[in-house]
Amino acid sequence: MLYIDHIDKGFNCECVLNRRMGLPKMRRYKDRFVEAVLFLCAITSILVMLLIFYFLTRESLKAFAELGIFSLLLGQKWHPAGDIYGMMPMIVSSLIITLLALFINIIIGVPLAIYLSELAGPRSKAILKPSIELLAGVPSIVYGFLGVIILVSYLQGGFDMLTGRSILAGSILLGIMYIPYITTICEDSLRAVPSEFKEGSLALGANRWQTIRHVTIPAASSGITAAVLLNIGSIIGETMAVLLVVGNVARIPSPFFNVFSQGATFTSVIAGEMGEVARGSMHYHVLFAVGFVLLVVVSILSVVADQARARIRKKFGGY
Amino acid sequence: MPAKPAYVASLVIPALIFVSAVCYLIMPLDSKPILPFWEAGLLISALTILTSFAAAKSHPAKAVPALAVDLFFLIAVIFLIYTGTLDPSFVIKRPLGLGASFGYNMILPFLMLLSSILTVKDLLNIHYAYSAKGREALVFMAIRLSAVVALLILGGILFIIIYKGIGIISWEFLTTPHRRLGQAGGISTAIVGTFWMVLGAMVVSAPLGVGAAIYLHEYSKSLGLNRVITIAISVLNGVPSVVFGLFGLAFLVTFFGVSLLSGSIILGLINIPTIILTSQEALKSVPNSLREGSMALGATKWQTIKKVVLPSAMPGVLTGIIMGVAKASGETAPIMWTAVTFTATPVQTFFGVIPNIFQPVNNLDYHLLNLIYFLGAWDVEDHAWGTALVLIALVLGTNMLAIVVRNHFRKKISW
Repeated sequence: MLYIDHIDKGFNCECVLNRRMGLPKMRRYKDRFVEAVLFLCAITSILVMLLIFYFLTRESLKAFAELGIFSLLLGQKWHPAGDIYGMMPMIVSSLIITLLALFINIIIGVPLAIYLSELAGPRSKAILKPSIELLAGVPSIVYGFLGVIILVSYLQGGFDMLTGRSILAGSILLGIMYIPYITTICEDSLRAVPSEFKEGSLALGANRWQTIRHVTIPAASSGITAAVLLNIGSIIGETMAVLLVVGNVARIPSPFFNVFSQGATFTSVIAGEMGEVARGSMHYHVLFAVGFVLLVVVSILSVVADQARARIRKKFGGY
Repeated sequence: MPAKPAYVASLVIPALIFVSAVCYLIMPLDSKPILPFWEAGLLISALTILTSFAAAKSHPAKAVPALAVDLFFLIAVIFLIYTGTLDPSFVIKRPLGLGASFGYNMILPFLMLLSSILTVKDLLNIHYAYSAKGREALVFMAIRLSAVVALLILGGILFIIIYKGIGIISWEFLTTPHRRLGQAGGISTAIVGTFWMVLGAMVVSAPLGVGAAIYLHEYSKSLGLNRVITIAISVLNGVPSVVFGLFGLAFLVTFFGVSLLSGSIILGLINIPTIILTSQEALKSVPNSLREGSMALGATKWQTIKKVVLPSAMPGVLTGIIMGVAKASGETAPIMWTAVTFTATPVQTFFGVIPNIFQPVNNLDYHLLNLIYFLGAWDVEDHAWGTALVLIALVLGTNMLAIVVRNHFRKKISW
């Protein structure tokens, strides 16, 4: 607040000065003009967001209106050739993939973050941290390629499956793919915990693990929660890698916990089928409806992640 | 408490079992030759646990049941192997209606893995007399192990791409268009197309993103507007790339057709949140004294920003823009139906420098996607590895540049 007041005063003084000293009006107009342009830049992101929502709603409205919201969302069958559309198969597969991938992601990514922030020496940290950040940039299509070549054939051979393309393959691939993301955010929030906290705990006689478990991790919980929520959003929204390894067969797995069967997620259905549909056909509109559902789910997740972070920070004074 | 060397030596055998089991789990090897070693190792592990528990000074009663269960497990595994129940023909066929069978070459290494972990757990606990210190050692070992696993996976990914892809890379591969559906020739059209598309994306996103960050941080006085824009940015940041693709298909393609321009705009929009967030961070790090000093000298607000604030924040802004380049070059889903085609025709240009922005172009990601689709039908695997390597080199190279820029200036500038 103090700082804003300060700048404001400076700004007013400057206007007064300009007026009194009769500086050219041009300069004032130029300032106004620049501010207007920058303002336009700033509201572009709002505009883009609104446009995205507008176009997805517009294109999917027809599907929702003609097929009915509930029968489209809860329908058990997805059979575009017969104009039968129900999203339940995708919802189930996406849910299983997200949960499994998140599990793999957390059990490997969070320990790695703890290792980096608490155990690693300065030298290994100096090498490991940038390389992990770097690996976050590996394009998803490359992961998909590796998944097809290595993971799918490994699963097929190892578990004697009909085809290695399965929900399990998708989960493993996504779980590995997002390790760098969760590690980076968790590591940052673990490192932001003031060292006084840790030193206090150590001075009371707790050992290092007790300190991490009872002091550092709770203090960093807001960052870790936000990281997990953001990762859920990314995993649901990831397209190319999943498309290539999940098999893209929109059927509810039977039994429903059968992770070895083929599946199809929201994204894989859109990416796999959009290339072949006729513009304006019912299938086209339904794929937009799938995209709309995906957009709504992910947007809610990002807003919740923001709010959760703010709330937890307020409550626990976390970092 | 056993002496230190004895304790270390007792951990060697479970460690060996662990490593060999992991190898067998990953690779389909014949487990006949190693079977006696595993049996002997398990037996020795069980005996070590017993003797060290007997030799330990304290015998806490609450530890006994867990220890008994672990020992029972070890002995059961030994028994299963010894009696031949778990022979190579052993298989659990599609249990519970799952679409998979669990055969001998999966189950045996898995049991070995489990036994070695149990052994290590018990030995550590006994060594530290079931104190908090033992748990600390155990957890830290697990954390280190899982860090090693993560690094091996991530390093292995890089290694395998470089190892498999380096053979195909040549001057010809980089400078000729592909022939016979990617089975021969190179990827020059994909490289050039990617270049123009990413350049276009940066032309769209860099001014918009940096401008927005400047307005939000330097001009905006309304907290409400800031709040709304921040929410919009975080939502936009989370929008899946495939949804951007749908948006482009519904909106941009109706105006510009499937073209370089549509792709550039979409990739640019995807990049905006990244650039705004990094630029804001950079602007935040510029101290107020600089702004006040400039204003005190009579400069207007815009002059201050242009001459003082932006140059000081440049490294951070630049880092964001370079990261945007890497992000834009790695996206496939948003441009699949809006900007690309699997073409071998070079990008049309006017006067040799300005590309025709209304034509579809080829792209590295899309090229790789097509090669993956062709994998079963044609012999394109080598070319796919080569394309993946070029793509990775491009993306990781730009990311590395961003990190170098950041670190370089972080050292150099001190307020």
